[in-house]
Amino acid sequence: MRAEAVRPPAAASVPEARSFTSDDPRDIAWVRQNVPCQATCPAGTNVPAYIRDIIEERYGHSYEINREANVLPGVLGRICSRPCESACRHGWPGNGDPVAICHLKRVAADLKDAGHRITEKLYAPSGKRVAIVGGGPAGVAAAHDLSLFGHDVVIVEREERPGGMLRYGIPEFRLPRQVLDVELHNALRLGVQLRTGVAVGSGAGEMPVSELLKGYDAVLLATGCAAPVALPLRGEWQGKDPAQELQGIEYGLDFLMQMHRGQPKQVGRRVAVVGAGFTALDCARVAVRLGAEEVTIHIRTAEEYIPATREEIFEAKREGVRIKGLRTPVGLRDDGQGRLAGIEFVQNRLGGWRTGGRRQAIAIDGSEFVEPCDTLIIAIGQQTVHDHLGVKVELDRHGNMRIGDDGMTSVGGLFAAGDYVRGASTVVEAVGHGRVIARRIDTWLMGRERRRQAVRIEPVQGPLRERAFDFIPRQHMPTAPLGERTRQLGREVETGMDRATALEEARRCYLCNLRYHIDVDRCIFCRACIDVAPRACIKLVSGVDPGEGGVGRLVETKEWNKVAAIWIDNNECIRCGACFAACPVHCISISRCQLVEVDN
Amino acid sequence: MAPANKPKHHVVVGSGVAGSQAAATLRERDPDSRITIFTLSSLPFYNRYDLPKVFRGRQDWREFLVYPPSYYEEHRITLRRNCRVANVDGRRRVLALEHKEDVAFDTLLVASGGRAYLPEELSDFRLLMQRFASFTEAMGVRKQLPEGGHAVLLGGDMIGLDLARTLVDTGYRVSLVTGPHTFWPHEVSDAQRPVLLAALERMGVVLVDGVAAGGIAAIEEGARGMPARRVVFRDGSDLRGDVVMPFFGLVPSVEFMLGSGVDIERGLLVNEALRTTDEAIYAAGDVCQIWSDAERKYRFYYGWKNVRAMGELAARNMTGGDEPFRPAQDEQLEIRSDGWLHSPFWEYE
Repeated sequence: MRAEAVRPPAAASVPEARSFTSDDPRDIAWVRQNVPCQATCPAGTNVPAYIRDIIEERYGHSYEINREANVLPGVLGRICSRPCESACRHGWPGNGDPVAICHLKRVAADLKDAGHRITEKLYAPSGKRVAIVGGGPAGVAAAHDLSLFGHDVVIVEREERPGGMLRYGIPEFRLPRQVLDVELHNALRLGVQLRTGVAVGSGAGEMPVSELLKGYDAVLLATGCAAPVALPLRGEWQGKDPAQELQGIEYGLDFLMQMHRGQPKQVGRRVAVVGAGFTALDCARVAVRLGAEEVTIHIRTAEEYIPATREEIFEAKREGVRIKGLRTPVGLRDDGQGRLAGIEFVQNRLGGWRTGGRRQAIAIDGSEFVEPCDTLIIAIGQQTVHDHLGVKVELDRHGNMRIGDDGMTSVGGLFAAGDYVRGASTVVEAVGHGRVIARRIDTWLMGRERRRQAVRIEPVQGPLRERAFDFIPRQHMPTAPLGERTRQLGREVETGMDRATALEEARRCYLCNLRYHIDVDRCIFCRACIDVAPRACIKLVSGVDPGEGGVGRLVETKEWNKVAAIWIDNNECIRCGACFAACPVHCISISRCQLVEVDN
Repeated sequence: MAPANKPKHHVVVGSGVAGSQAAATLRERDPDSRITIFTLSSLPFYNRYDLPKVFRGRQDWREFLVYPPSYYEEHRITLRRNCRVANVDGRRRVLALEHKEDVAFDTLLVASGGRAYLPEELSDFRLLMQRFASFTEAMGVRKQLPEGGHAVLLGGDMIGLDLARTLVDTGYRVSLVTGPHTFWPHEVSDAQRPVLLAALERMGVVLVDGVAAGGIAAIEEGARGMPARRVVFRDGSDLRGDVVMPFFGLVPSVEFMLGSGVDIERGLLVNEALRTTDEAIYAAGDVCQIWSDAERKYRFYYGWKNVRAMGELAARNMTGGDEPFRPAQDEQLEIRSDGWLHSPFWEYE
């Protein structure tokens, strides 16, 4: 016998009912537990719903479902870090590869009809004014949601154009600017006022935060995290900024931002990039396009631990980028004329795990070696700076802005969101956080929470997929020919899926928001469903162990004479529908459970 | 962990030189144990180093077997062919096979070797190239290449050059597109390189400088009435041949070990006793990067003698030993008195 944890569904007898909305925390918990892609998405995107729309070729509706959670689906469909795919049930051991969720998001954006109608759920004007400092992903997401809530929103942006890191930090071969421009426009066209080229701070010609606080009901700081982290070198280089000491050394994000502001960039014949994130990969791929002959990314641990998607790494390698692991830069070599000539590394071994899920690298004494190079791009991370604010705010131990549960800093009316609060993270995290903080600001301004989360439960007449779909291999994203892409800095590498490929990929989705349930009162215990189940997802139960904390545990049994009930383990279930088709008495029902937002 | 009175189950992944030598040594040192070898191959352990001999008339797979089929039964070694290991759970001491079977082990030796590396920029053309890593693939090349036909070898490496010398010796034409991998895994200085390339030309290999030609832009099917393949270079030149074969060295076959809990860089990282970061899991052969205290780095050791020594040592250490690995092979590339190139990696028994 084996005990299984179980959360009895509050809406277990849904099939006979019509669709309804449930506030029961058990239903909300069921969705969070059973729809791992949505639970992992920082923006909370309803992934199964938009993939289902792609199967039905309703691309515009699919796009709108995305847009409810994130206002930049076409952007994130290209450059998202894809935490959802790491969590996808299809990628669990024994199930194959995860669904290409991100590529399907792009499919919705690419294949929707030209001129398709955008839907926005607007509240009446509130008369409140909100200033947002920073027009990056967090600021834009917050601005959109706050304007939906009826507030007058102004974005104050230091650069000439909005988009922040999206426009200035991500190369065009990953994110075409036309896609960005359209989605930014759509996000801000609800009356958001955009004031670009205006720096906020305490310096000469800058707009002080204190002035914004006087002029607006709330101020949101979403200025991101762009100050480079220094390379910790040893010996004569210790404590020095190498970019100031030698020619041929740049910081990765500065390198990209200067290039995207229009400054011509050059690299040497041999380029070394130090760092292991998207910025390092982007810098390396840009260097290839700028004509470097040898481009190598040097990392402290191993390729396995690079926090970028496998596809990005593969494409970088296709373009000729090499990755060398287990090494930390400790010094530099010059050519005697003030130019970089090489990097001194120390060999590492892998250590334990750092907080945050990263591997430690431990330097091996006496293992120093030198690799020649002409250009060094340092891309080991960014940090936030606050000294320009001119107001005194509390920081956390990492030097990031401390905010309370209400999203507010230690200064009344001053909120913060995105990388500015959390340190360098991903675009989807920034969008998600911007959205969360927008709601907190609305609650603070209006004195009550105007939206809440619930679960919409609706009966489904039958399985929406076939068992054969489980054997479809993951479809690949087509890419531009190698010769073309490295000759043009702006040539988009991933060219997008066509309808047929998208349909094939969408069919792979298990549609985890479908809940299978056996009506024990009608079940005749014939075991037909167990016989056809491809996994150990249907279980015989002898009783319930009350357990602790009000959460019962079903006690599984293999002994036929002790069976008291039969139960579908939705965590194991891959929604193939085989049990539904096999049941002779139709006691298996299916309901679709989706997280929705409703008015309070 | 097995109880003291229960025979241990030693599992070996890979049935090449390292895995087979390890199984033999395990049987000697632990007579009561269960030994299981999992291999992707449909054939029992055969001599891959001899594969170029398919061009010298050896075309029956039985001639390549190192042990007779009865060997495994006589030595109570379970050989499970056509089995792909999907993943390894080091904590539970269980490996999962792709066909959904779980197998428990007490000690595990990963000797899955390396597979031919295909540079990512050539991956679009993989279906137009012939591999030469297994008996089936060798026979495929033999069939595809007409008598006196023209083979285009990309890269080089010691496996490719071994095949090249057999092909020119048996009446075929060989063109070699040279590049950084030409003498892999030998480390060759800038001064040595032209001398070694000249030796290859003396052997009858036609050299094409792939770097000077700007690298390979595409591989295409040949037009009707022309050789079956065409290699197009970025400078606009091309090269036609009946087969195109990539030889760019090996990459360790470690994908199934991701998530197992052991440390991986390019290969499985092992200490000098060939133990991974999991005390029950060892690695031997082309799949492992061994810590060299003298060189202060992890490095690969190639060649039949080294691989066999690793297999034997790993088995000894899996059964109570604690000895360090000592390289068993000379690694210097040389030019023989007759002017031909010679690699110690080509010497095998």
